[in-house]
Amino acid sequence: MRGPIPGEVDVASLKEVAVGSTAEVAVVSGCDPMTERLLEMGITPGVRVKVVGRAPLGDPLELEVRGYRLSIRRNDAARVMVCAERAGALIGDAVVPR
Amino acid sequence: MDATGGARDAGPFGGRALTVALLGNPNTGKSSLFTALAGIPTRVANYPGVTVEEKVGRFVHRGRSIELIDLPGTYSLSPKSPDEAVAVDVLRGRVEGVPVPECVVLVVDATNIERNLYLASQALELGLPTVIALSLSDVAQERGIEINVDELARRLGCAVVPVVAPRRQGITGLADAILAATASRPPAGLLGELGAVDQSHTAPAREAIGRYAWIEGVLEGVVRRRVVVRSIDDRIDRIVTHRLWGTLLFAATMLAVFSSIFWLATPAMEAISSGIDQVSEWTRAILPEGAIRSLLVDGILAGAGSVVVFVPQIALLFLWIALLEGCGYLSRAAFLMDRLLVGVGLSGKSFIPLLSSFACAIPGIMAARTIENRRDRLLTILLAPLMSCSARLPVYLLLSGAFVPNVAVAGIGWLRLPAVVLVCLYALGVVVAAAVAFVLTRTVFRGPPQPFVMELPGWRWPRGAVVLERVREATWSFVANAGTLILAVSVVIWALSSYPHDEGAIDAEVARERETLSARLRPGALPVIDAEDATILGEHLAALDTPEGLEAARRGAAQRQSFLGRAGRLIEPVVRPLGWDWRIGCAAIASFPAREVVLGTLGVIYNLGDADPGEEEGATALVRRLRSATWDDSGRKVFTLPVALSIMVFFALCAQCASTLVVIGRETGSWVWPAVSFTSMTVLAWLGALLTYQIGTALLP
Repeated sequence: MRGPIPGEVDVASLKEVAVGSTAEVAVVSGCDPMTERLLEMGITPGVRVKVVGRAPLGDPLELEVRGYRLSIRRNDAARVMVCAERAGALIGDAVVPR
Repeated sequence: MDATGGARDAGPFGGRALTVALLGNPNTGKSSLFTALAGIPTRVANYPGVTVEEKVGRFVHRGRSIELIDLPGTYSLSPKSPDEAVAVDVLRGRVEGVPVPECVVLVVDATNIERNLYLASQALELGLPTVIALSLSDVAQERGIEINVDELARRLGCAVVPVVAPRRQGITGLADAILAATASRPPAGLLGELGAVDQSHTAPAREAIGRYAWIEGVLEGVVRRRVVVRSIDDRIDRIVTHRLWGTLLFAATMLAVFSSIFWLATPAMEAISSGIDQVSEWTRAILPEGAIRSLLVDGILAGAGSVVVFVPQIALLFLWIALLEGCGYLSRAAFLMDRLLVGVGLSGKSFIPLLSSFACAIPGIMAARTIENRRDRLLTILLAPLMSCSARLPVYLLLSGAFVPNVAVAGIGWLRLPAVVLVCLYALGVVVAAAVAFVLTRTVFRGPPQPFVMELPGWRWPRGAVVLERVREATWSFVANAGTLILAVSVVIWALSSYPHDEGAIDAEVARERETLSARLRPGALPVIDAEDATILGEHLAALDTPEGLEAARRGAAQRQSFLGRAGRLIEPVVRPLGWDWRIGCAAIASFPAREVVLGTLGVIYNLGDADPGEEEGATALVRRLRSATWDDSGRKVFTLPVALSIMVFFALCAQCASTLVVIGRETGSWVWPAVSFTSMTVLAWLGALLTYQIGTALLP
């Protein structure tokens, strides 16, 4: 696993991103099929991911990436390291509230 | 493989059939495209060695016979599950009996083109002639996604045909493109075009970054408005996944799904049953009494009835599934319930199949088709029969009503003990299923974790044609595949419960019974019987003098002397520790065709003839008969509270349902799983009944 990216601030995992916020993916750590699948699904370094919601029981998460919605479990989201962006950013035509 | 096998035999118009593979991401309308191109599949089987369905269809286009192979939906060509591995193996010609495809039809969801092109970027490297079918292009248009198809085709180096499969739009064009593609050179690979990527990333990350960069390049200027998540999707999602509203909506939907298969299907099922009864009656009237009539009525007609009777439930459940899938709620339901099932090693997708199994395991097991992951699907199929289905309810109701004292629990007036027992029996199935899942995922099903990601498609109206096709497919595959086998099993069970048939032996047994009853009623006979029992035994004896009573007694004797009855006696040492006499063992074995017949069988064995225990009169008669039943070797009562509980626990856990086992066999494509299911559930049921009886006897003097 790689450490924080030099020059970036606020590196966290996708799991910690607040609902409604958007973040830019820095690294998807690990080398197993789950990491590969996340990458294949379009969660690649550099892409912006919005955490749309969380299931009422706390897990899994609902994400928006590359114009579609995807659900992954929080455990798996932990391997997606992101540089948090300011909330209120625009993704496509879906405006993040607040 | 069946007669239509041999993929490259001559088509109806002569010449070799062209093998075409249908590849695409899951949930991209691949199935409807298959139907639009090839109609009803000519062959549905499993790929050798794996429980992955191989669906093959055939059609003729411009005089050319084309064989279409539907590959399992996959997100990429570096497979993460056995299903995905099959898709790759077929494309590379590594599956025995399946020829290397001569053309690949790649289904690309126009509403999610960016992610879908990831698979395209890999498929175009296969070196096979490729045609891209741009599915859901009407939905894309509605959402304002404009795709310059010609430019896209030019950039990808292969034909791109927009299609709307349920309306058959673009289907002829697609078929033309298939023929044209096989006649020309396959597209050149793209690997060379994948640009340089920052070497600090891992290899898989570099590949993904490279491919997505290529996709972005391809789509640049070709697609206007690539983003498909609309504000309406956002608003609906916010309600549907809301902590309170989402949960309420979910509960309401599940209630509707469940009640429609539990209650709404009942009138249709009753109509079917009475229709079959009517036909049986006519047959009885036409044919003379004898083996042929018995085979026709009690074997074949009863068997056919037990197949058709499941159709309303299957059709209704698949109607719901198709509607929920069509609008996008099915994956949201899985999203909401995922957390609940992760603990036992499953995912949210198992929720609806397991819930449906409380009505009947058969539609539940079939609903497991919506689970893409093979391991999860198999596990769900194995757990489904542990949910207490509606066929167990009459057994629970009759026995708990008759033998569980109707007292208040914990001093709460309305909380009656029989009701508590009933709830406990339902809970028992769930708890045991959770324990079984917990153990299996750590033993037999242990293995590399298969990644779980779930797409949440945009909301849309379900399509009538797609919904109807789904219902037709499920119903038909049940009737055609499982139905014939269930019928065969019914006939075998009929034979086992009808033969050997020796009139002399039957008369002798009825005479013996008359004697035993008279002996017990004789004044001063031991053991002493109370007044109530004396009445019942007296009635029983008097009944032997009426024609109906005698007929019922003869039927009971015939059943007890049949192979099945003998098997019941043979297993008595096994069921004795459960507190059962051989009659109960016999009824348990005889209930194998379907659990609900256990009460009917008990009725026959206890000489009640065809009195229907489902109706109040029949049930009362059966309860009275059961209450007075005693052990053959002593005057002790057979049915005590611990015995009734042990029977109920046994039925809660056992796999005494031939139809369920047949469907498990059909859905898993292997007879290993029904065997495993039957053996393990029978052992569980026996252990459960043993514990219940032994603890019950120890606690209740």
